[in-house]
Amino acid sequence: MKNWLKVFLFAGIVGLAAIAYMWFFMYNKPHTDYDKATPDFIISANECYNHFYNGQESPDKAFTGKVLQLHGFLTSVDDLDSTAVIVFTYNEGMFGDEGIRCTLLPTYKDEGLNFDKSKSITIKGFCSGYNDTDVILEHCSIIN
Amino acid sequence: MKKLTLVFITMFAIASMATAQKYVTKNGKISFYSDGPLEKIEAHNSQVNSAINTETGQLAFKVLMKSFIFEKALMQEHFNENYVESDKFPNATFRGKITNAQKIDFTVNGSYEADIEGELTIHGITQKVSEKGTFTVSNDGIKGDSKFFVKIADYDISIPGAVTGKIAEEIEITVNVMLKPLGAL
Repeated sequence: MKNWLKVFLFAGIVGLAAIAYMWFFMYNKPHTDYDKATPDFIISANECYNHFYNGQESPDKAFTGKVLQLHGFLTSVDDLDSTAVIVFTYNEGMFGDEGIRCTLLPTYKDEGLNFDKSKSITIKGFCSGYNDTDVILEHCSIIN
Repeated sequence: MKKLTLVFITMFAIASMATAQKYVTKNGKISFYSDGPLEKIEAHNSQVNSAINTETGQLAFKVLMKSFIFEKALMQEHFNENYVESDKFPNATFRGKITNAQKIDFTVNGSYEADIEGELTIHGITQKVSEKGTFTVSNDGIKGDSKFFVKIADYDISIPGAVTGKIAEEIEITVNVMLKPLGAL
C-alpha cells in the first residue's frame, strides 16, 4: 500500500474516532448524578435562606449552581405528579410562605411524603437559585 | 368595647376577602419546545411561581431559568451559559392583566377563554405580549393553561454562527398552573 494511502486511511480513522468521541461523550454526556454528588456546601436550611434573603450571594460565595447539603425542620411536603417538593418556610410574602423548596428525585418521593416532621431532615440537591421568594433546589435526595 | 369588637370583625372580614381574591401556586409548570432543522429542543420547569388576583384580573409569573431541565445535559449547559445567560439573567417574568375579565366569573365552576396582555421579560429584555389562555374554575381551584410562541430574536438571544438556521427561530411555550387560594398552600 502506498504511503499517501496509509496516511489518508489513518487520518480518516482518527477523524471518525474524534466524531464518535464527540457524539458519545460530549453531545450525549449524561446529567450529573446528584444522588451521588459530593456537596459543595453543608449548611443549615435556615442559614441557606438567610444567605439569599440578605443578598449575600456573591461570586466569592455563590450557592447558585452548586450542590448543597441542607439540614432543618421541614414545614410541608407538596405531592406532585411523579415527585414531591420538600418545603422549609422562613418568611411570608405575596406568593404566600417563603423559604426553600426542594424537588425530590422520584425515587425519594415516598420517603419525603412520609417523613416525620418532628425530626430534622438532611437533604442534598442542586441549587438553581433564588426567585426573590424562595431558594430552589432540584434533583434532591434525602440523606437522613 | 362593642365598637372595638366591631372594628376587629370588620378588619378581619376585609382581610379575608382580600386574601380570597388572590390565587397562587409555586408548582406551576412551563415547558418550551422547538423543532429546528438541526434538532428538537424541549425543556420543563415545574417550580414556577404564579399569582392571579381574581378581582382585578392581574396576573404574574416568575420562572428561575436554571430550573429548566433538558433531556440532554449539553443542551442544558448551552441554554444556561450561551443562550439565556442564566447567571446574568436568572429569572424570566410575566406581569399582565386579563383584558376580558368581565366575561370570567371566578366564583362559578366552568371553563373560560381569557385574553391576556402584559410584559414578558426574558434575558433582561422586556416585550409587550398579547396571548390567549384558558381558566378552568373548579372546587380544587383555578387551572390556567396557555400555549404561545416567542421569537428568540425579540429577546436578544444570540445563536452561534455555526448553528444559525439550524435552530428554530420561534419556540413554543406551554403554561400549566393550578392556582389555589392564598393561604391554602
